[in-house]
Amino acid sequence: MLQLSSPEEKCQQLLEPPYDEMVAAHLRCTFAVSNHDFVEAYKCQTVVVQSFLKAFQAHKEENWALPIMFAATLDLRIFANNAEQQLQSKGKGKVGDMLEKAAEQLMSCFRVCASDNRAGIDDSKKWGMLFLINQLFKIYFKINKLHLCKPLIRAIDSSNLKDDYSTAQRVTYKYYVGRKAMFDSDFKQAEEYLAFSFTHCHRSCQRNKRLILIYLLPVKMLLGHMPTHQLLKKYDLMQFADVTKAVSEGNLLLLNEALVKHETFFIRCGIFLILEKLKIITYRNLFKKVYHLLKTHQLPLDAFLVALKMMKVEDVDIDEVQCILANLIYMGHIKGYISHQHQKLVVSKQNPFPPLSSVS
Amino acid sequence: MTYNCLTTGDQSELSLRQVTSEELLSTRPMNKTAMSSAWHQSRRGRGHRHKEQGRVTRERVEEQRAEDSVPHGTCMTMCPAYELRQREAQNRLHRFEMVADTERDRLPRADVSRAVKEYSRPAAGKDSTRASDLRPPSVLLKTACHLVDDIAASSTFQPWAEVYSFVFDRLRSVRQDMIIQRVSGPDCVAVLEKSVRFLLYASYRLCGQQLQYFDPRINDTHLQECLSWLLESYRDGKHQHQEEFQALSLLYNLGSTEAIQHVLELPERIRSSPAVRLALAVSRAHMERNPVRLLRLAQRLDFIQVCAVHRHLLPCRTDLLLLYSHGHSSRNCRYPLQRLARLLFLKDTLAAELCQVYGVNVTGEWVNFSKSSFTDAVSGELQCRSMHEPLDDEQWNCSAGSVIHGCA
Repeated sequence: MLQLSSPEEKCQQLLEPPYDEMVAAHLRCTFAVSNHDFVEAYKCQTVVVQSFLKAFQAHKEENWALPIMFAATLDLRIFANNAEQQLQSKGKGKVGDMLEKAAEQLMSCFRVCASDNRAGIDDSKKWGMLFLINQLFKIYFKINKLHLCKPLIRAIDSSNLKDDYSTAQRVTYKYYVGRKAMFDSDFKQAEEYLAFSFTHCHRSCQRNKRLILIYLLPVKMLLGHMPTHQLLKKYDLMQFADVTKAVSEGNLLLLNEALVKHETFFIRCGIFLILEKLKIITYRNLFKKVYHLLKTHQLPLDAFLVALKMMKVEDVDIDEVQCILANLIYMGHIKGYISHQHQKLVVSKQNPFPPLSSVS
Repeated sequence: MTYNCLTTGDQSELSLRQVTSEELLSTRPMNKTAMSSAWHQSRRGRGHRHKEQGRVTRERVEEQRAEDSVPHGTCMTMCPAYELRQREAQNRLHRFEMVADTERDRLPRADVSRAVKEYSRPAAGKDSTRASDLRPPSVLLKTACHLVDDIAASSTFQPWAEVYSFVFDRLRSVRQDMIIQRVSGPDCVAVLEKSVRFLLYASYRLCGQQLQYFDPRINDTHLQECLSWLLESYRDGKHQHQEEFQALSLLYNLGSTEAIQHVLELPERIRSSPAVRLALAVSRAHMERNPVRLLRLAQRLDFIQVCAVHRHLLPCRTDLLLLYSHGHSSRNCRYPLQRLARLLFLKDTLAAELCQVYGVNVTGEWVNFSKSSFTDAVSGELQCRSMHEPLDDEQWNCSAGSVIHGCA
């Protein structure tokens, strides 16, 4: 009975604007959803959000309507997702179009919340900010426009409420800023955020914990901390097992094999490129082994070449070895210098291979 | 003050809503949806400063309501008759469009077989959707072929900077016609592929020219637009040259995580093609910060691929100097200049010059690396151009044809 295709008249009879429009659109939306027409549902939902926002803005110094905003905006994003999928399957529509428009609407809501300076803390609309930001993050990550996250991060950083939002919201928030930090190659920061997210994520949310771990693991590995077999088994992430083994042993062959074997998984999660960064760590571990084997501070370059060839790294010559070593020295993974004339790597007598966590 | 406003917020029915004057007058985006999209559209046209500066972009056209019919061109010549007569009468023909031997007349005559529709900025009051002014896809492809094959690739027209300017403008107009008519499919792909090859070639040939003849940033903007449109078009159906252009896009955007991620998500068949594999290898060398490997792999690229990647090669070379300045930093050690030049794939003299600009000490045949002496040069001191193959106009023209035709 509630699923009507044109409920406007009825609503206008019973409700004040803008609630009349909002409810009418909501009813039309449920009708569309029941017909699996998500494109239409999305359009209706935009009207719901717009009209809600008009009412919300008029609420002076009260925030009781926040839960409605959360529900309406969440539905908006979900319908936008579904609508895009529907269009894609028909070969129409450009990826990200509807999500971007949804993001614009969410930003309007965000502005209303963020600019609520008059109300006291208990009645402030600012409590809606983090939820909306998390929704916006989800969209920006999906449409690959991460740079749009920056102003939102700044807004939260400068907010005095930032540590008082619910744990759930903060876990989600840190998950996304952690991933953004990864993208910006700020691995120390990424580790901080993702670790927080992982530890504070409720233990019953296995799926979420696993998701966080997918991004936390590569970051930790880059900083020299390898996960235990137990951990990987517990969260069904054995794809990382071979990678871990390869990196800690300095086994480039195994690393390449592991990356190829689970390529699809890593690419889909968007961590393939970061895992490739582990190559330099693997070189470092391999060369450190060479150093320990030869027990001298003047290492012939040839030794490294032999080590690489043993790892089946083909078509590498002494010039490339020098380049790789130069890179490791530049990054601070090796303390020393190369003497081309003597064809040797001369390393410092003190701590020539500093621990990974102290570098980068 | 509130007004009753007929809006078409819901596309299936008109509804009467009350709109405040603030909403009507406000230009803030959050109020955009409170007004009819048509009303907002007309505001956009009237000289409002927008980032796109009034360009007809794909997004804007898609915003037009569904009930608008898509224009279908009927102009079967490369230049619409109306424009041809107008430009001829106003002496606004380009040199390449004139009948031979009339160039120096007071009013040169237009050669119908060579005149091409100009690009013109959309403006309020100007109707760019008149069918008689729009060229259908088959004509657009013919036009693109004429521009690239007969003019850009030919050695008859000098100087090439003028050729570039003409072809650039006319190709832009071709793409504009495609946008207005929402052309897609094989013709669209063919036009875009030709545009990309042309723009890539130009970016190499005219690299370092004065800004008035060639602006690399403008060339880059158009190149990126064409590439993203082309890659988007590749999503549907099979395309003969897709591998080649996926590789070119990756090389042109060397270092871009987005570009690499895009290639990694391509179907296995395309990813394993030789062109894409090579481009990925170059990309990997760049990511691993191994300039020695990168420059070596670059030797295996064909000419158009070099055009795509060349702007990244100078930064790659300076990176090598930076890494070696740290890795080989020692007061007593020396590195042979000749060997360094070979690694850089430059002549000895040019290698020495590069070192000098970046603060790397060269004495005779020897280089002394020192991490404290390397300095990041002010950009512009050493031009990318000096690293190019030194070809004069004639040598360029011989290769132009084969390069641009490429996948004819």
